Amino acid sequence: MIKTQYAIAGIVIALIVGAAASWVMRPLISPPPPPPKAKFAEIPPPGTKIIHGMDAAYPPFTEIDPTGKAVGFDVDVVDWIAKKYGWTVEHKPWEWAAIVTALVKGDLDFIASGMTHTAERAGEVWFTIPYYTYIHHILVSIGETRTKEEILNSGQYISCQLGATSDKWAEKLLKEGYKFKKLALDSYELAFEAVLDGRAVGVLSDSAFTGPYFKERPDVAAKFKELCTVGGVESYAYATRPGDYGLRNALNQGLEELMASPYWDELREKWGV
Amino acid sequence: MVWEYLSYIFWGVPWTLGLVGGGLALGFIIGLPIAIGQVYGSKGLKAALDMYVWFFRSTALLVLLFLFFWGVFPAFGFKLDALICSIVVLGLRTGAYQSQIFRGAIESVGEGQLIAACALGMSKLRGIYHIVLPQALRISLPGWSNEYAIILKDSAICFALGVQEILTRTRYVVMATHEPLLPYFIAGALFIVLTYGVTKIINIVYEKAKIPGLVGRM
Repeated sequence: MIKTQYAIAGIVIALIVGAAASWVMRPLISPPPPPPKAKFAEIPPPGTKIIHGMDAAYPPFTEIDPTGKAVGFDVDVVDWIAKKYGWTVEHKPWEWAAIVTALVKGDLDFIASGMTHTAERAGEVWFTIPYYTYIHHILVSIGETRTKEEILNSGQYISCQLGATSDKWAEKLLKEGYKFKKLALDSYELAFEAVLDGRAVGVLSDSAFTGPYFKERPDVAAKFKELCTVGGVESYAYATRPGDYGLRNALNQGLEELMASPYWDELREKWGV
Repeated sequence: MVWEYLSYIFWGVPWTLGLVGGGLALGFIIGLPIAIGQVYGSKGLKAALDMYVWFFRSTALLVLLFLFFWGVFPAFGFKLDALICSIVVLGLRTGAYQSQIFRGAIESVGEGQLIAACALGMSKLRGIYHIVLPQALRISLPGWSNEYAIILKDSAICFALGVQEILTRTRYVVMATHEPLLPYFIAGALFIVLTYGVTKIINIVYEKAKIPGLVGRM
């Protein structure tokens, strides 16, 4: 009985060791499988369904209308490019914080939603040519008399949008030694509201939002003034998965053609960007 | 201008109810057997079920959503739709919480009743099914309605996977109209109606089904 138990234990141990050894030696025996081909390594042919990822809470670039339909500057541009190539586009709203993951994992095919081309993001996605430039700036109440240094060292809150490039700029300024407190809110809108209701002394925004927002809300615009700009010129670009040469090249050609056409100015006029 | 978006916000209600209904139902299917296993199971089974309950109660819902949507399911070779995945994750998580509700209710049923059932010739399983569970399920209704209210709020987190439930739509409307107060007020009112309405229905069911002589109501 005991000998049988030892025999069974020995067989089980041998099987486990054998399985482990074959797993370790697998690359020596058979070559690794080739990496999967990117979905859009070639330009998508007409009739292909492309999923456009967007943040539906970023007007005027991407938003929804009362019927729930995606609208906005980027939506119109994407529709124009899709028509050029004969694609069918699905405009899919996605939470901004997870949108790059969704693109990389294949839930979306590209992102066109006022996305800033940053070095950090370029480590995960491929960007197209830039199509829009803007700057970051700090705005304060119209009656504010303090200087930039005084505001940034006041120890009071400066609001920004959580997860946006303004949030990152706020972090950079704090790392440089400025003494303000960061109030990161869900949207630029709320960040401006925070200044209006006194919770913050300034808002770190970007001109891509501020410009159209102030055009639409002159009553709000009248209550703010620009304190200073922050950093250099930034640009928006569309993002694709690494390896999707075809899609990215098609988007690049589409953007170049559109930007050279009169329709581009019409779109900018329409959406106030 | 916000009024133009009213129907868009209201169309988030079916999505929210789908998440909540699906999650609660799945949680019931998972939670009840876990509760039975924890009360009547062997040591090994109890330890395994305790691990399940501990994991799903300790892990934040947002983490679970990302973990399952982009990790667990693709690792097994399939990709679920965002809505279905959200329902599954909500179900797995609420199953852990519901199991404790059912476990408390099962343990409140006198042990002597099961012993008497076995003495009369019933197997343990039949005794649990015919004697213990009918009482335990009725006792658990108040706690279960609380779980409904909790999962209703949790459903808003599923925006992270692109599910367009009430709160996600409200946020889009706020951005589009630049008017935060009214849309969030409408969303809050919708959640109050959904919470109050359904818990009222569960209370009516509880009043009709409660064990006579048992004290307490929701």
